[in-house]
Amino acid sequence: MRVAILRFPGTWSERDFEHALSLVEAETEILWHTEVDLAPFDAVVVPGGFSYGDHVRAGAIARLSPAIRELRRFAAEGGPVIGSCNGFQILCEAGLLPGALIRNAGLEYISDWVRVRCEDDGTTFTRGLRDRVLRMPIGHGEGCFVADPATLERIEKEGLVLFRYVDERGIATAGSNPNGSAGNIAGLRNEAGNVVGLMPHPERAAEPILGGTDGLGMLRSLVEALGTAPALAR
Amino acid sequence: MRFTATIHVRPKAEVRDPQGEAILAALGSLGLGVTSVRTGKEIVVTFDAPDEAAARAATDTMGRELLANPVIEDFRAEMSTS
Repeated sequence: MRVAILRFPGTWSERDFEHALSLVEAETEILWHTEVDLAPFDAVVVPGGFSYGDHVRAGAIARLSPAIRELRRFAAEGGPVIGSCNGFQILCEAGLLPGALIRNAGLEYISDWVRVRCEDDGTTFTRGLRDRVLRMPIGHGEGCFVADPATLERIEKEGLVLFRYVDERGIATAGSNPNGSAGNIAGLRNEAGNVVGLMPHPERAAEPILGGTDGLGMLRSLVEALGTAPALAR
Repeated sequence: MRFTATIHVRPKAEVRDPQGEAILAALGSLGLGVTSVRTGKEIVVTFDAPDEAAARAATDTMGRELLANPVIEDFRAEMSTS
């Protein structure tokens, strides 16, 4: 199994993903955003950072890159894609996930550990994680999830919410919502379930020395899903 | 023809504007009776197009594809030949 990790100017979490994926024995390759052939890969990671300095909007410029053009094709063919932090912002900007991420309600950049509850174990990245509360770090200034009322209703009705910010009891409260996100939404999947995005960093919660290993579950899920499922016909 | 377009981007009315809220709070300290603030940005682009219709179409594409996110923002362009 080979995982492509995309790197744009300003990406900062690609090495963390490379390391975390090595812990679950996945083969990885970091691809510069102009190296566009994703055909040899089984999954794609869009890591966090500040692609293109967050100019225009976080993720807006990356959206127009050759790598994202190729990623659209990869995703349309059912290839598993995960975007974390800036990667989530890029996937929303690219229209691969609904809604948008705007400036945190309190205007502050937040670097902290949060709890999120997994609401769907049907994706490649969340097998066996349904109803689990995961502790993972966040580090973002633009993580407030918004969408128009009709889109929000559709997201909830179709069960596209993958993660919600919750308190230690696993309940979504105003106090456990770090950035003002609508519905405490911390992560989403697309309708097909192969594209997922989340603001927290699973790759930074992959070893006890980093303060937790809850993020490893998502990476293990990917390895198990691809290890047991027949290779995608692409 | 060479055109200069000023493209104004603003958050949609129903989208929160935390920056506007912060400015509102700060302007409150000046005691001028400010009750609402909405922020946005202005992007000035110079480009070549065969005529005004084509230039309009070009600014629409710029707004839609990059300068504004239709989920959260509206944009409008003012144009002049230069």
